[in-house]
Amino acid sequence: MSPDSDFQWLESRLLRAGVAPRHVRRTVTELREHLDDLVDAELATGCDLENAEESAMRELGSLESVVIAMRARPELLSWARRYPRVAIMVYPLTCLALLPVAPVFAGVAHASQIARWGLCMMIGALITGSMFLLLQLSILLS
Amino acid sequence: MSGVPELLLLRLLDKREMYGYELVRAIRSVTGEAISLGEGVIYPVLHGLEKNKSLKSRRKAVAGRTRVYYSLTAKGRQRLNKLHIEWLRIQGGITSAMESPGVA
Repeated sequence: MSPDSDFQWLESRLLRAGVAPRHVRRTVTELREHLDDLVDAELATGCDLENAEESAMRELGSLESVVIAMRARPELLSWARRYPRVAIMVYPLTCLALLPVAPVFAGVAHASQIARWGLCMMIGALITGSMFLLLQLSILLS
Repeated sequence: MSGVPELLLLRLLDKREMYGYELVRAIRSVTGEAISLGEGVIYPVLHGLEKNKSLKSRRKAVAGRTRVYYSLTAKGRQRLNKLHIEWLRIQGGITSAMESPGVA
């Protein structure tokens, strides 16, 4: 496996283990940087890139041990994993509360499109109104 | 014994800020390779210490690369002192047990 697929595996494994996503992202980033340093150290000994990467991955050690070490620290787990009973109550309530305001959030998120649509509708109404006015005037004057 | 990695990390970071790779190398060096922390497993320990406010971190660019540097906080210094005292107590207990004539 390549280092990239190894780190992807680690990321999904940590998330499934209930580690908080921000700790997962940071751990993977720091491990990638650590691997870069190990590769550099191997290259400095005259090793070629392929062997340097293989050797660096070996030195980095088993990524499963990282998962075990992360899981052993409750402070790094996600809130829902630490308090599952509270999460079971809070999540559905939050979803119910968010449901009525979701269109507002959607409106805010797409404010520029809605403004453009409103402007186009206004211009369209003005043109249609003017045409009706001209028609009315032409009837009156004829 | 579970506090040994924490004690070593806090002791090293008491001197200057360092990043993960540097810390692993420094632990090997200062312990004469007697203690070698797994390269990857150092990060859960560092993140745990940061979470309980014993450490703080910052991203710093050095020689074209960015690294997360860790440094000790006042709370971390207190934790270091506490762990150090605890370590001396355990060390003293083991030494006395090993030197005791009652031990076969």
